[in-house]
Amino acid sequence: MSEKKNNQVSRRTFLNYTLTGVGGFMGAAMVAPMVGMAVDPLLQADGEGDFVYVMDEDEITEEPQRKTFTIDQEDGWYESQAERVAWIFRDGNGDILALSPICTHLGCIVDWGVQDDHPDQFYCPCHDGRYDKDGVNIPGTPPTEPLHVYEQRVDDGRLYLGRANPR
Amino acid sequence: MHRGKGMKFVGDSRVPAKEHRNIPKDYSAFPGRTEAFWPNFLLKEWLVGAVFLIGFLCLVAAAPSPLEQQADPNNAAYIPLPDWYFLFLYELLKYEFASADYIVIGTVGIPGLAFGALLLAPFLDTGPGRKPSKRPIATGMMLLGVMATIWLTYESVVAADWEAREEYSVENVVEVEVDEGHPGYEVYMDNCMSCHGDAMQGAPTLGPDLANLPYDEDQIKEIAVEGIEDMPAGIFDGSDEELDELANFIVENTSVEADGEAGDDAGNDEGSDEESDENSEEDSEDGSGEEQEDEESDE
Amino acid sequence: MLAKIYEWIDERLDITPIWRDIADHEVPEHVNPAHHFSAFVYCFGGLTFFVTVIQVLSGMFLTMYYVPDIENAWNSVQYLQSQVAHGQIVRGMHHWGASVVTVMIFLHTLRVFFQGAYKKPRELNWVVGVLLFFVILGLGFTGYLLPWDNKAFFATQVGLEIAESVPIIGPDIKTLLAGDPNIVGAQTLTRFFAIHVFFLPAALFGLMGAHFIMIRKQGITGPL
Repeated sequence: MSEKKNNQVSRRTFLNYTLTGVGGFMGAAMVAPMVGMAVDPLLQADGEGDFVYVMDEDEITEEPQRKTFTIDQEDGWYESQAERVAWIFRDGNGDILALSPICTHLGCIVDWGVQDDHPDQFYCPCHDGRYDKDGVNIPGTPPTEPLHVYEQRVDDGRLYLGRANPR
Repeated sequence: MHRGKGMKFVGDSRVPAKEHRNIPKDYSAFPGRTEAFWPNFLLKEWLVGAVFLIGFLCLVAAAPSPLEQQADPNNAAYIPLPDWYFLFLYELLKYEFASADYIVIGTVGIPGLAFGALLLAPFLDTGPGRKPSKRPIATGMMLLGVMATIWLTYESVVAADWEAREEYSVENVVEVEVDEGHPGYEVYMDNCMSCHGDAMQGAPTLGPDLANLPYDEDQIKEIAVEGIEDMPAGIFDGSDEELDELANFIVENTSVEADGEAGDDAGNDEGSDEESDENSEEDSEDGSGEEQEDEESDE
Repeated sequence: MLAKIYEWIDERLDITPIWRDIADHEVPEHVNPAHHFSAFVYCFGGLTFFVTVIQVLSGMFLTMYYVPDIENAWNSVQYLQSQVAHGQIVRGMHHWGASVVTVMIFLHTLRVFFQGAYKKPRELNWVVGVLLFFVILGLGFTGYLLPWDNKAFFATQVGLEIAESVPIIGPDIKTLLAGDPNIVGAQTLTRFFAIHVFFLPAALFGLMGAHFIMIRKQGITGPL
């Protein structure tokens, strides 16, 4: 090493750089696997939702009916039977619509026709959010988007529901 | 103290050997009525702390920490409410300018601005004056923020039905184990669940529990169709056959003194037996001990 | 006897300067309620610290019974407050302490703000103080879920929903907090437990240390 170079990077500076480098390596090597562990939920692939039998097609009316069904839920190591709720009815075109009752504002549970002023709407008690019969949020109320809709499949006159997706 | 060459140490350690130790500072020369932190002022602080602690322990003794029923993700009738120090944010999201399409303003915009300004206050308010009157903008903003927070919290507290929320408390909840295989269960879920809960436990403000009704099947059928007290007529919507099933379901699963067979099906509701039967609006003071034991044996 | 022991230790380790550093500082007249009653506003910071100590102690003892598992969490809380001797009191201290510490830190913040005590040269200490405020609120939020009762569960769901509404990174924040994109469940509880009991307290202690060192270094602000 030439003398000139020694003037540019002194011994002390060099040692400080090396110290920072080695320290950085020790820190990073220690923490990297831990961070990986913490962010694991972000890396998990989205599971395919199974379709579950809910009700017979001919029972579906124009009036929304509240139906519960259970799905196998896997929450990490904890497997359970989770209950899902759907409001099921035939819309104006005669198509089957299965709405999720989870309010798109802050996740409270909406109910059909409980408010006297608006008997034909879904109502959320948390912040007075409202949706019309098709689950579309009423402008001027807090919800941000329409109620989510369950994926549906009709097989042999039986209605099966999958996951609830935003519209 | 000796420094540099000739300094004495204790043994071969690096601890300096000193002759005089532990001499407190002399405060008499300091200006004004300054006093020593240790022990003079600290004693005063601890006296304040002791009085504060007595008050705090009185609060703890007087108000037992609340506990509601074990979390049930399927409980559709539950109306959430955050702890009081987040109520202002919860209430803010009710307003039109802070929800729906503008929810970002409510969840990120306004709180972000407020807390960001708080964090960076020393760099935003750089003038030399310290008196609040000398920096009206900073003072005004802070007053506005504090008042808005208090106002929002107040609004939210007023809007919540605290009496009804009392019923969520574990001591007040009515425990009913219903027979979900009963043919009337589905009829019940379609017609009654939204007010009386998915297990006849009732829902605060909406409907009382049905844990112990003094009615027979015919009376229940009549109430379901024609209503009673606050319950309007015409809630039941179905065939006569379904009505029979419903009434049978309710009678089978409720614990009625007049009806001897009821207790067998409702194995889990001894605790609620002693309860007053009209409605759950009244706080039921029944023995929570029994219910707790039932709870544990469930697991 | 005690003095002898102290001298024996002090001769070998010279510990006097260590605590003298903390103990030997002047308390000026204007912060002393003995001279000006209005100086009680200077107590809020100390009381915040006092309640924090109560929180740390009661929290340590609560974990002797508490289990961060959705099957058992609620039962363990129910058990510790109904069956364990003084369990009701200890849980009560932790529960009400959370509220009181929030009130106290709020009042302390207002005192410092309206006295303009955050001005040069104390900017950094203010920033650290506000961060402490955030940590306390974070402890309140994560601690709220732990009893795993209905109130806790649904309030947390709302809180996570608020986090999700943040543009772009919102859903990822929610997933990181809850441990699952859609479920508030077993993984949420363990995460909140870890954050409440290890991560945030670690941040709290670090920030509190910085806060106090800066106060000692710079001294208390003069009278208005």
